[in-house]
Amino acid sequence: MSLNRRDFLKASLVGGAAISLTGCSLLPQRTVQHPDQYAGAIALPDGSFAVSAFNRKGETLWQAPVDTRCHSGCNRPAEKETLFFERRPGWSFYVLDANTGERRHRIKAEPGEHFVGHGVFSPDGRWLYATASRYDAGEAIVAVYDATQGYRRETTFELHGIGPHELTLHPDGETLVIGLGGILTHPDYDRIKLNLDTMEPALILMNRRNGQITGRFKPGHHQQSARHVSVHPDGQVYVAFQYQGPLYETPPLLARLEKGSLKEFAFEAKTQKGLANYISSVIAHPESQLVAAASPVGGTAVIFRGDTGELVATTKIADCAGVQALAGGDFLLSSGQGKLVQFGANGQIREIASRSVLWDHHLV
Amino acid sequence: MQPIIRFLCVVSLSAPISVALAETPDQQAMTQWYEGIQTGYQLFAEESKALADTAKRYCADPSDQGHEELETAWLDAFLAWQRVRFVDFGPVETDNRVWQFQFWPDPKNLIARKAKNLLKSEEPITAELIDQSGVAVQGFPMLEYLLFDPKVAQGKMAMPAPKTCTLFTAVAEHAAGNSETLSSDWQAFRSQYLENAQYRDTTIRAGMSGLEILEERRLAQPMGLRGNGKRNPYITDAWRSGNSLRTVEATVSGLRQYFLPGLITLLENTDDKDLADRIDEQFNEVLDNFPAAFVPTTEAMQNDDQFRLLQNLYVDVSQLATQVNDQAAVTLGVVRGFNSSDGD
Repeated sequence: MSLNRRDFLKASLVGGAAISLTGCSLLPQRTVQHPDQYAGAIALPDGSFAVSAFNRKGETLWQAPVDTRCHSGCNRPAEKETLFFERRPGWSFYVLDANTGERRHRIKAEPGEHFVGHGVFSPDGRWLYATASRYDAGEAIVAVYDATQGYRRETTFELHGIGPHELTLHPDGETLVIGLGGILTHPDYDRIKLNLDTMEPALILMNRRNGQITGRFKPGHHQQSARHVSVHPDGQVYVAFQYQGPLYETPPLLARLEKGSLKEFAFEAKTQKGLANYISSVIAHPESQLVAAASPVGGTAVIFRGDTGELVATTKIADCAGVQALAGGDFLLSSGQGKLVQFGANGQIREIASRSVLWDHHLV
Repeated sequence: MQPIIRFLCVVSLSAPISVALAETPDQQAMTQWYEGIQTGYQLFAEESKALADTAKRYCADPSDQGHEELETAWLDAFLAWQRVRFVDFGPVETDNRVWQFQFWPDPKNLIARKAKNLLKSEEPITAELIDQSGVAVQGFPMLEYLLFDPKVAQGKMAMPAPKTCTLFTAVAEHAAGNSETLSSDWQAFRSQYLENAQYRDTTIRAGMSGLEILEERRLAQPMGLRGNGKRNPYITDAWRSGNSLRTVEATVSGLRQYFLPGLITLLENTDDKDLADRIDEQFNEVLDNFPAAFVPTTEAMQNDDQFRLLQNLYVDVSQLATQVNDQAAVTLGVVRGFNSSDGD
């Protein structure tokens, strides 16, 4: 447990619920933009898809229908806009009014490109950076859009690799932190992985203004596909892998960038197996040194100390995938079975809501 | 030996060993699965080799009878694959072998496009070329195209035209090599499989997923029961040779032979023993639709009487899928998730 006394007092002031997980059913505020609101892509029982926003009680604020399954997205700073990207291969992203869910834009991918489900804004909310793939050549890129010009495509940065996935912005405001999965796919071939023997996954740091790559860090094994990333406000960079080798091998799935290389964290055998070589989300808690990660394949979520790699808590939630940090030190998890669960830094879990929707990978 | 007899012999030989070695129900079930799948892979490797040999014989000395034998050999090998197609973990994951054996679905008709290019190309057809040509070229649907599609079969490139024969034989040998490697890799996989409890759920999920694909993508979608409601035979397996429903039958019998025994072992050790009997019975219900339902899907989609056969089959498969994927899954505590099967 890493909360110090000051954190604890703050938690009780902000959230209240963090003290007693069994008391009221209100979630603490979140730690980022729109503190009283969350959004996630969903599938509905009738087979249709939407983006759904909910409040701290887990109640639906709005539900915006979309044409195809979405994956993740981002909130636009200084504007009430929430973006969601279609699931890979994503042919468009949606710009929604964060208050009402009303659709403002649907921006299509450029010819020959598709999105991969993630995007992030510059701190002023003007530039949108979206990971994408030039699929015939199999080239990973960051597509840059000007939100002030109706999301006009402005430029393209080359990642010199294959299969980009999540990206986020470093607290320096200048550096994009990007997970490069290394896996070659092509929309003509469903989601077949075409290059498992020759993958070159990496964690990439890129200057957001000129696209210059300022760091490229390879995991220990070439099949540790680097997909998801998170950065602590103190600048610590975390990356989560999806291992492409056999299930009976259980290599590390989480790492932290330390002194120019990736320090990988392996938990004890039971937890490693529980994570089933697949992490869907990783979030570094901004108020502590705790980091949470979820594996829908293993139905397992963990909290560990980012500074030491020590496992703090583990829980089993079927098909859990989305993770967010909550004010007060806890985390919020979402599952493909409609659950929203508060995962306490002390290991306690509390169900906030259970709806007949399927929460898709990420909470935004 | 006739393929079906070979199939039954090996199956019956492998059954008693499993019970003797097993201890807990989980271990017993996994041993049953392991050995069942091994049997299925062995048979698949044999049928694939027989296909490659038949192709070489036919191309060296073509005859009408030889052509028929080749069609039969293709079907036998493809059906042997259908019986083990539900296995989506272990050595079959290496090098996208699943896709190499069967590139499906093919909404952009890549198989036809690739075949046309290869047949037209000046480049000699070699094993290396097949290796480099991608999964749309490397498996049974390509062979079916070369053998059955009117664009080839009724033109000047029809088998035994030398170029087509060379391509067919090279692809058949590629598939035979892959199936042989798969079979030997599975044997080497024994301790990794049996000693990792995770493979219990993985195997159950594989069976569930096989049934779901069968119900949704191989029946409901082509029958127009989903989406825009239009019937579309061209998204079924093996529509070119009119064997789609034979592949359905083979998948269901493969699941019954290689997957069901382990599932029953597990269910019989729960509070819901009746479910094991109901599932066993439902497998029979599904298989009772055959041979009446061996109709080409291209015709069945336009013919009301034949379509009714498909509807009956669909209802039975759907009930089986509910029993296994909903009821048995809950009883055995196995979850197949929205996110866990996403891969992103």
